[in-house]
Amino acid sequence: MSQGPIRRYPGWALLAAAFLGSVFWVFTRSVPLGDDRPVTLRIAHWQIEQGPPEGIDAVIKRYEELNPRVRVKQVRIPATVYRQWLRANFSGGIAPDIVEYGAWLDGLADFPARYFEPMTTELMEPNPHNAGTPLAGRPWIKTFVDELLEQRLNSPEPGQYYAVNLTRGSVRLFCNRELLREIAGTEVPPRTLIELRQVFARTTERARRTGQPLHALAGSRDNAMWLMEYYMGGLMIRRARSLDLEGVHGVYPRHIQRAYLEGSWHFADPELQAGLAVLQDFARQMRPGFLQLGRDEAVREFLSGEALFIFAGTWDATTLRRSAPFTVAALRLPQATRDDPVVGSQVMGPFSDGDNSTSFGFYLNRRGPNRATAVDFLRFLTSYEGSRIFSANSGWVSGIAEVPVPPELAAHLSPGDGYSYGANFIFAGPHLRMAFERNLHQLVGPQGTVESMASVLEAEAPAAVRADLRIEQRTANVVVLPQDARIAALGHWMATTEAGVAARLRLERLEAAQTQSEARALMIGRWLQAAEAAGPK
Amino acid sequence: MPVRAADLAEVWADIADTRIVEAQAAFKAAAPADPRERALAGALFVLARPPLTEAGIATVATTCTELARGDDELAALALYLSARVVQVHRLSPDYPQAASLYRELARRHPQSHWAQLGLVKLGLLTLHALPEPADAAARVAAAGTLLTGITEPALQRDLHLQIGAAAVLSGLPVDTALPHLIAADMVGGLLGLVGEDLVIQIGELSLRAGHREQGIAYLQRFLRDFPTNTRRYNIEQRLAEVGASRAPEGAP
Repeated sequence: MSQGPIRRYPGWALLAAAFLGSVFWVFTRSVPLGDDRPVTLRIAHWQIEQGPPEGIDAVIKRYEELNPRVRVKQVRIPATVYRQWLRANFSGGIAPDIVEYGAWLDGLADFPARYFEPMTTELMEPNPHNAGTPLAGRPWIKTFVDELLEQRLNSPEPGQYYAVNLTRGSVRLFCNRELLREIAGTEVPPRTLIELRQVFARTTERARRTGQPLHALAGSRDNAMWLMEYYMGGLMIRRARSLDLEGVHGVYPRHIQRAYLEGSWHFADPELQAGLAVLQDFARQMRPGFLQLGRDEAVREFLSGEALFIFAGTWDATTLRRSAPFTVAALRLPQATRDDPVVGSQVMGPFSDGDNSTSFGFYLNRRGPNRATAVDFLRFLTSYEGSRIFSANSGWVSGIAEVPVPPELAAHLSPGDGYSYGANFIFAGPHLRMAFERNLHQLVGPQGTVESMASVLEAEAPAAVRADLRIEQRTANVVVLPQDARIAALGHWMATTEAGVAARLRLERLEAAQTQSEARALMIGRWLQAAEAAGPK
Repeated sequence: MPVRAADLAEVWADIADTRIVEAQAAFKAAAPADPRERALAGALFVLARPPLTEAGIATVATTCTELARGDDELAALALYLSARVVQVHRLSPDYPQAASLYRELARRHPQSHWAQLGLVKLGLLTLHALPEPADAAARVAAAGTLLTGITEPALQRDLHLQIGAAAVLSGLPVDTALPHLIAADMVGGLLGLVGEDLVIQIGELSLRAGHREQGIAYLQRFLRDFPTNTRRYNIEQRLAEVGASRAPEGAP
């Protein structure tokens, strides 16, 4: 039997098939190699968990429909390398037009003044993309639910706004609802710490009875630290209030650090010990070895049904909801009440578990070639329409007023019904935080006790707190130094020309901001001197 | 013929905006200019890129010393910058020398903006850095005397605010701090959270000092004027503690 041409010439046949496939692809599916849109914007951020990238993609798609001349590219950078990436790209002059940034990012305090362009003028005017919506005619800044509180706190030049924020959130106890029903016999979530401990006990009992891997809390070092931050902040309010010499109803890290060096608080204090006891209690509900695990491991444990709860920020909510084969409920983590048998005596009242301030801030690259288009895109992104699109596709609550909050996201917001003092004594500075994390096994390890943890921290804290105060001092100086040239140039320009009111106001603001930072640096210097003079604590 | 100072306007504007590369380009394009203006611009180009090297510090110091020999506003600015170099740009600051330069500036150019700004800086040094006076109350009092040399309201406000803060944090009686804080508030114009903190602070410190009505009025004003501040719950609870409502009686 003779062979057909395909069997006789398989190489040619394959080539012919590839050619025909290519012709089909070129004429039916392909897009031009070059972009027919003359303007390309790039927007970079580190929120690469499930949700935000999809939300931004959806906004970009709509924006490109409305603006055929513009192409917007989303650049997703892992958080672990974001700081280095940002520094390298801005130093090299190749940074995107719009970038996410946070004032808390270590080592990048010089960025806003050096690389970003304020948007203050635009923020005082209505956002044109809000025409025909409930926000029409409202100045852009008034469309953010908190009027950009974070910028009022952190702007290097008071009065100037360098960012617009996209979202808001809180910390929540996410729950496997079906599993809760099985374990507790009800879907009604625990409302107090006492009730929560009862659920913990039932979970442990069920795990023992069935022999299945099951813990009340998904465990990882990150999740444990978030828990610690939450409860310690709440239990230290009374002490924070006593340290609030300034009378501002809050304490800043430098005040906590100074008070420690002056001996106004210790790790043996009952409030601190109560906080440590709560963490120890919660750590026992996590799987052994959780200190070696990262947040992704905790998420996996929860999604696999091996943990009843996971405590996390609402930034993880979309990942949990979209990946879980069960119903995920976002609960407010029960707080200690005054009748709590373990820590009740230290409780002053309810404390904040989400202050509704906005975050996920986008900044404008001052050297970007498409400033006007970049501002227009940010206006759209934070408009009524853009925010609705973002929220619907990301699962994150919008930071824009009047934008409806989807029912499934309503539980992510807190009603402002608790004290907010910033009383995070353990995490008042990076060195103290590192000392805490390094020694966490002293508290939650097999032999760990509250007393041994407190004792170790008491030994390491004096050096750590001094180092943290020096960082505060350096940070304040970093803001002071470049302002001299700016102030001198602006003041001299005003003296030699007919400068208007705006220039005079700007000079006043620059001088006021520099004086505040300078006073802070000098004051901290005096505190450190006093601590040195007092000798080792 | 040298160009007028205004011809370097773009240079000053760019430096004020931290656009140093653009400022240097504008500077080259604007040449020739008045030699003193050019010298000032050269010093500012160095100052705009901290931290300064030893060579940079020497360059700025020499330039400013030379420019300060004049008798005009530019000379006052140069003397001010001389003090700034000594106080903040040197690796090892010399606070007494900086204080001495601020005093000289106030003596030679009392009406100049730079002299008045220098008095604010001298106030900070007096409050926090100079060895004398050593006693906290004396430091606060000494800084207070500098206010008489300052006529610009915004600068008065800035020094009042720092004197008040230093008094409070030094543990001096609240009534030492309150007049300064209230004076700062009356000038107004504070932006960022500083203005919001100040209103709470006056309210709370007034309550602690026994000025109940004043304290309540300031805390109620805080709730009215700053609806997005995250400490509203704290203030509401504080008002409840002293038996006051969230808003003045009869307020809408």
